Amino acid sequence: MKKSIGVMASILAVFMVLCIGSVAFADALADIKAKGVLVAGVKDAVVPFGYVDEQSKQIVGFDVDICKEIASRMGVKLELKPVTSATRIPMITEGMVDIAACTMTKKVARDDVIDFSITYFMDGQKLLVKKGSGIKSYKDLAGKKVSTAKGSTSEINMRNIQPKCTVLSFEGYPEAFLALKQGKVAAETTDSVILIGIKGSDENPDKWEIVGDFFSSEPYGIGMRENESNLRDFVNKCLMDMWRDGTYKKIYDKWLGPQTKFYMPLTWEMELIPE
Amino acid sequence: MNYEFNWMAVLTGEYRGWIIQGLLITLKISAISIILSLLLGTIVTTLRMTKVRVLEWICLSYIEFFRNTPLLVQIFFWYFGSYVIFPDSVNQWLYAHDYEFAIGVLSLSIYTAAFIAEEIRAGIISIPKEQMESSRATGLSFMQAMSYVVLPQAFRIVIPTLISQFLNLIKNSSLVMTIGVMDLTYMTRQIESYSFRGFEAFTVATLLYIAISLIVSFFITMYNKKYLRMIRY
Repeated sequence: MKKSIGVMASILAVFMVLCIGSVAFADALADIKAKGVLVAGVKDAVVPFGYVDEQSKQIVGFDVDICKEIASRMGVKLELKPVTSATRIPMITEGMVDIAACTMTKKVARDDVIDFSITYFMDGQKLLVKKGSGIKSYKDLAGKKVSTAKGSTSEINMRNIQPKCTVLSFEGYPEAFLALKQGKVAAETTDSVILIGIKGSDENPDKWEIVGDFFSSEPYGIGMRENESNLRDFVNKCLMDMWRDGTYKKIYDKWLGPQTKFYMPLTWEMELIPE
Repeated sequence: MNYEFNWMAVLTGEYRGWIIQGLLITLKISAISIILSLLLGTIVTTLRMTKVRVLEWICLSYIEFFRNTPLLVQIFFWYFGSYVIFPDSVNQWLYAHDYEFAIGVLSLSIYTAAFIAEEIRAGIISIPKEQMESSRATGLSFMQAMSYVVLPQAFRIVIPTLISQFLNLIKNSSLVMTIGVMDLTYMTRQIESYSFRGFEAFTVATLLYIAISLIVSFFITMYNKKYLRMIRY
């Protein structure tokens, strides 16, 4: 009996040390540099931002390349962790990822729990429909079903702008597109660049069309844990440097340039703080 | 981690409305599925006991197939795979209605019925087989003997194990949110993505699930106390 109390006491002591250890964060940037690994949360099913490449079976994409660049400028290795729209914010707050570049729109409500970098991509929400369906804008969706991904801003925007439609939220964009393909919903809605990716990766891209005007503004930011000012400064500086030295344009053209299936003209400019 | 709890955020206003809406859907889908799975399970067991080879074989493969595949896979199968079964016009009609809910009920019932069938079979086996034989000797048909003599006694015996199946079904019903049925779990996740108050929302949902389960088992236990005593051999 006495022995077991001793064992329990020591387990408790170890547990407490672990607790204290995890509370005593130094500084996220210094921690990452000390570990030598930057853990980045990226999507694994959103073409062309983060998806599993058919040949290499690796996660590739625009977001992945941005993270790679940040890691190399930091002088550390990059480790990727797949996240979904619903899991990314808890994963940041719990410290499971250091940064998250995962098609995440910056929002004031999200800023309460995490911090964002400067905008590194600018987009807006549109609709993907079957060609010739007669749906021209969100106004035509009254009484119809629309699919999107759980936990995304698209879900919230769609409900607000067209309260008369039913929004069906799936785990990810591939399931939402499958529902559209099978005619279970009249349209799929999310940021236009994700729709371009979905359309471009279908066997018959011509069967689908992206319609309507932007009905929301979606500035993407890299998510980080709240109040890690050094890390945030570093990431912001990285992004601005990448824009200035042309690395950004190179990555952009690789995934969204004119020679790709997902061509989307670069129409916005990063806000640069003078050096 | 210094997390500040804000219970009022999920217990007032719009979010409370969502939780109640979700709760009602969960109750509705569970109630309908419990009734359907009980019916289907009974039918399957009865057919299996008929000693007709083909029927026995079909029922056994049904039970083994649905007991041994994950429910989530089955839900996706029915939702995304079922469109090949019906002609396009029927599909379009279905999609225009509450298709997601119907598929949720269908997959939950079929899945749980496979378990329930086995429970009821155990109950039937525990009834002395002389009862079946003597019922048949008095001139009752197989179906009559089953429905008037064997099944009523078998049910009373298996009710305690059926409770666990029903409780499982209630908890499994949370999986239907993957096809867009707005049940309690779906609404909880929605509150999380709107307000980031996931911790509070999930706590409330957990308590509600426990409450539903406790109420169900309470009533069935009361029923047991009243009727189980009456069984005498």
